[in-house]
Amino acid sequence: MSQPAAPAGLAARAHPFTPLIASLAIIALAFILPVPGGPVVLALLLALAVPLTNDTAAFIPAAWLALPFWVLLFLLHGVMGEGTRVAVGPLMLSRPGLELALTTSARLTAVILASVLLIRGFRPGRFVDAALMSGWPWTAAYLTAATLNAIPRFQERAVRVQDAMRSRGLRVRGSVVTRALAFIPLALPLMLGALHDVDERTFALATRQVRADGSGRTPLRPPVDTAFDRATRWGFLLAVAVAALWRILG
Amino acid sequence: MNPRLLALIPTCVALNVVLGRVVAELALPVFLDTVGTVTATALAGPWAGIITGLISQGLTALTSGQMMWLAFAPIQILIALVAGMAAQRGGFATAPLALLWGALCGILGGLTSSVISYFVFGGVTTTGITALNAVFRYLQFSLAAAVTISSVVADVLDKSLTFAFTGLVLRALPIRLASRFPTALRAAGRE
Repeated sequence: MSQPAAPAGLAARAHPFTPLIASLAIIALAFILPVPGGPVVLALLLALAVPLTNDTAAFIPAAWLALPFWVLLFLLHGVMGEGTRVAVGPLMLSRPGLELALTTSARLTAVILASVLLIRGFRPGRFVDAALMSGWPWTAAYLTAATLNAIPRFQERAVRVQDAMRSRGLRVRGSVVTRALAFIPLALPLMLGALHDVDERTFALATRQVRADGSGRTPLRPPVDTAFDRATRWGFLLAVAVAALWRILG
Repeated sequence: MNPRLLALIPTCVALNVVLGRVVAELALPVFLDTVGTVTATALAGPWAGIITGLISQGLTALTSGQMMWLAFAPIQILIALVAGMAAQRGGFATAPLALLWGALCGILGGLTSSVISYFVFGGVTTTGITALNAVFRYLQFSLAAAVTISSVVADVLDKSLTFAFTGLVLRALPIRLASRFPTALRAAGRE
């Protein structure tokens, strides 16, 4: 899992639901707002708002993630697109293709920027505590926490299996066939080991009388849900509702 | 939800993520990031697969910083449903059978993902599939046709290998362990 940085940004300090709702609302707005202006304005506004979150470093991963979309959409639609051609420097480009590339790129950039800000401030433990405090079912909270714990554990095990197999002469470089043949000796022990673990974990959960409808848990340090957090969440939800109504009625 | 499912689902989600990375490290032209979804379905039925798939999709979207991949969540449901049908009919009993079920899943998944790819992403998704799109566009195919063909080709290859590998795992499981999962023995044709 790509480990988020540890910024002292607004997203990291806020109640865990606030950046999540904000990100989901921005994603919804990116698709609701009318094209071509809506997504472009949204991406620009979001870029201008990033300094307010005290996490301007988020621009770097966001740019790396967004750049391929800009390039590929420009090539696929601007260069190879159909319709009226316009001269841009030495190139003859498709006008509708350029519009589509700009709109889609801006939309995806807004989504990426919102997602990057969210993940950089995301703390799984705080999120699970907040979920439990707000009355989420215990099962959902357990699945979230157990999954987030399992990924690094299996990642570490995959590295160990890979090291062991390579020390026995397994080749993981070379032609596609060589690399494809390396997959089974790497993945099969990992899978079988994981399924044996399921058996042991089932026994551990069963002996603790774990049931989906019981076994409540009280968070030790639940995140504080301030009035500012609640107002922010309602503000974003209201913005989505207004935009949706505007599109439906307008 | 019983303790076995509570233990199985997080493990299969983690396998989706970790095997996807193993494949990426080997630089193979496939994803194999739904092995956990297919395995969960084959072991415990479609609901286990659907939950595994949806959590995997959500986590991948969240941790990659690209929440737009959530748009492909319906594909995870489709994979679990097809894998569930395959498991009911012993579709993982032999490699050729698993490859055929995987190809069927790939065709359905490719058609569905091409619609999402076309309308949400303008035909641009992962680098490999986008390169295929560009090749078909260069060959004068319309964008819709290029996106459909490249999605189906990529998905048929990916899902065939995913189902074949899952079949290999199910057949390699000791009977003692496999018999503890409700549908494992039937899926692997060992009943």
